Amino acid sequence: MGEVTHKRLKPLQINPVKLSQPMGATLAFMGVDNCMPLMHGGQGCTSFTKVYFTRHFCEPIAIQTTAVTDALAVLDGGDYSIVESVKNICKKVSPSLIGLHTTGLPETKGDDMSWIAKQIDFPLVYVNTPDYEGGFESGWALTCKALIEQLVEPARIVNDNKLVLLPHISLTPLEVEKIKDFIEGFGFNVLALPDLASSLDGHLGEKQAALSSGGISVNEIKSLADAGVVISVGDSMQNSAAALLKKNPEMRHQHFSHLCGLEATDSLVELLLAETGFSSPPLTLARWRKRLQDAMLDSHFSLGQTRFLVVGEPDQLAGICQALSDVGGKVKVAISTVDSPQLVKLKADKVLVGDLEDAELLAAEYDLIIGNCHCEALAHRQNKGLVVRGFPNWEEVGNSLKHDLLYEGGAYFLFECANAATTHRAHLAAG
Amino acid sequence: MSQKPKIKELLVESACEHNQTRKAACNAPTPGATTGGCAFEGAQIALFPYADAAHLVHGPITCLGSSWETRATKTTWPGRDLTQVGFTTDINLNDVVFSGEQKLKDAIDYIMAHYRPEAVFVYATCVTAMIGDDLDQVCKQAAAKHGVPMVPVHAPGFVGSKNLGSRLGGEAALRHLIGTLEPETTTAFDINLIGEYNVTGDMWQYKHLLDELGIRVLATLSGDGRIREIRSAHRARLNVLVCAKSLISLTRKMQEKYGIPSISLSFYGRRDTSKGLLAIAEALGDTDLIRRTRTLIVREEAKLAAQLEPYRAVFAGKKAVLNTGGNKTWSIAAALQDLGIEVVATAVKKATEDDREKARAYLGDTGVLMMNPGAEQARLIDEKGAHLLLAGGRSLYTAIKKGIAFADVNQEKKKSYGGYAGLLNLAEDLKNALENPVFKLAARRAPWEK
Ligand code: SF4
Repeated sequence: MGEVTHKRLKPLQINPVKLSQPMGATLAFMGVDNCMPLMHGGQGCTSFTKVYFTRHFCEPIAIQTTAVTDALAVLDGGDYSIVESVKNICKKVSPSLIGLHTTGLPETKGDDMSWIAKQIDFPLVYVNTPDYEGGFESGWALTCKALIEQLVEPARIVNDNKLVLLPHISLTPLEVEKIKDFIEGFGFNVLALPDLASSLDGHLGEKQAALSSGGISVNEIKSLADAGVVISVGDSMQNSAAALLKKNPEMRHQHFSHLCGLEATDSLVELLLAETGFSSPPLTLARWRKRLQDAMLDSHFSLGQTRFLVVGEPDQLAGICQALSDVGGKVKVAISTVDSPQLVKLKADKVLVGDLEDAELLAAEYDLIIGNCHCEALAHRQNKGLVVRGFPNWEEVGNSLKHDLLYEGGAYFLFECANAATTHRAHLAAG
Repeated sequence: MSQKPKIKELLVESACEHNQTRKAACNAPTPGATTGGCAFEGAQIALFPYADAAHLVHGPITCLGSSWETRATKTTWPGRDLTQVGFTTDINLNDVVFSGEQKLKDAIDYIMAHYRPEAVFVYATCVTAMIGDDLDQVCKQAAAKHGVPMVPVHAPGFVGSKNLGSRLGGEAALRHLIGTLEPETTTAFDINLIGEYNVTGDMWQYKHLLDELGIRVLATLSGDGRIREIRSAHRARLNVLVCAKSLISLTRKMQEKYGIPSISLSFYGRRDTSKGLLAIAEALGDTDLIRRTRTLIVREEAKLAAQLEPYRAVFAGKKAVLNTGGNKTWSIAAALQDLGIEVVATAVKKATEDDREKARAYLGDTGVLMMNPGAEQARLIDEKGAHLLLAGGRSLYTAIKKGIAFADVNQEKKKSYGGYAGLLNLAEDLKNALENPVFKLAARRAPWEK
């Protein structure tokens, strides 16, 4: 825990890593089966978002726009364009849910979403996500909270076998699946909200991008409140967990800042053992734990002499910084997209809310970068190593199958970073 | 008087013969049934390739955060390539309530102090246009302070489509840059390339041929462009519009103001490249130049034919279905025909009337123009016995189900298919696709489904 700068010091962003709230909201709605995310704003925000995620996931992305124009913007309080949008969407497809989320434009005008939502006779969840506030992570979290508040039916009793997982935005589709599998190994029936594991995991199938496919169903969301256990991962998800507990105070909630590394995974196992009364976990988990221990020792020599820059969303930084510092990796600088309570807890010497220009100015302090593909040019100019993580990754294929957490993913992650660091050192030595 | 361009005027652009039918579509996107980018994106496409200028997006994070580093517009600018640097004021709630002008001023000062660009383009976006930040005033003061052009670009997304935004981008260049500097020298064969953005180095596939002919590219809007050059673009003898209908209004205004005639052409495929080179020479009107151009075309076509020889056998008798949009509906079709591949169908759903006419001309009477490619393409593959589907990623599954080869048309965003040399890139990629066993193998049934 080093020095933390919570505020951007410049009047602008140069080479930003920050992404907007509405984009986070879109992605959250993609984790609901048969959903049509509807972004309320100019058509460009939606178009950029669609292209962005299509390139990142190499998958078709369903999303529509209310296409607010300047003429409409003055006259319409949003109700016309939203009602029209719902009509036009339903002419072509039959979604189970419309996921209405705002951008800066209608928020500046003061469109009243809760009022408009009442005018619409169709299953719809709305969320206010102006892009001049918050960021990618909060857009996802606000949407998850809205899904809970507006859909989940209150309950009084709990089913001890049922567990709800609330994952933060930076977990890859496979990471969500791995957490579900891990927990299911203890006999639970696990539902993730949102759930990208089956929607954006990159499987072959008929996809016309008309609607999201895979993910948690609307009916499953409605009946989440009878789960015995709620697990939130990432500090951004705390409010969603609180909203869910309001639906049924009998639910037992456990929060994890992240699930990276030996200790965090151990505490998840402890929870699951306590909940089930089992004395030991499934055999494969025990084997993976030993492999992770071995991976930590095998990689410590390389990582222990490496200085890192880690760039990403706050909840993502928490896990990566922990995993690296566990084996002696020196996280010299962590650059966060936005401010968050996570920042003061990060295992890093210097933490700042910033951009890649800041990263460039601090280039003397690190050898290896862990960050999105915008870091490629930086790594090249400054002659640094790079392990690509986070949004966007437009350069590598297979990023939705990366998994860095729990015992198994943790081992792979350490190996990948250690090898990258070694290769980079060899490259420097060769001149 | 306001410096803002008159949007109505641009929409009823007289030089565009199809504006009558398309006006409504340009004007009002349908809520809930709209695809395609906003005016800001269009302006960005038109102006971002100036690598010696900073491009400052005044707005919240969506506009730039999701879009920087998405275009490989190549440049030879020896300084820091500012096409690949994202600048945005990333305004917050406070700015929305109390105005973002001060932040904008500070941002320009910061950029001038740290990056010393030849100019700064300042882009309005929906929120900053809505709250009424005065870009003209801020730019004027900043230009006086820093002594370089500061160009306000009034194309916030909510005014309309990408196409309109490109026009507005051209308009900004016309108002604030073109005609503000005299060129050091001029020649009889000075041209401007308008609408060539040098994506993946497309322009470099033919620029050396222009050089060889003694045709000088005085300025570009805006591929591999320089601010100094576009400022002196008013001295060109000819404007060459490369595959860019959106900038017709710019070339027409340059004709009115500076007497520069213009021609419109494309450099995709062998035939269009040859036609384009000749059209430039003819428009410049020098008989010796025309003669030399003809000689060069013969030489280049012969060279290309020799280089394509090894591919002839692979492509002989092959049929392709093309599912794309815009001018690609016919330009890629033409390129495929140049390679000896028969194009049995092309999608024209996302194409203008003009593009459809061209597609019809290239495909002849037997080729199918698909109005509903999603539903039609699978059937046409069977009916026509196609071997290859060229489309966007989401059609991959159709090719797999049919067990035929697939090529992603968006590959051209990574690699140039332009000019004569680009055809070789295309040939190589298609040969690899046709010979790849993966499409059949991936379609294999699982043992438990047999
Ligand atoms: S529609 Fe407006 S807010 Fe959205 S990207 Fe375009 S300019 Fe930005």
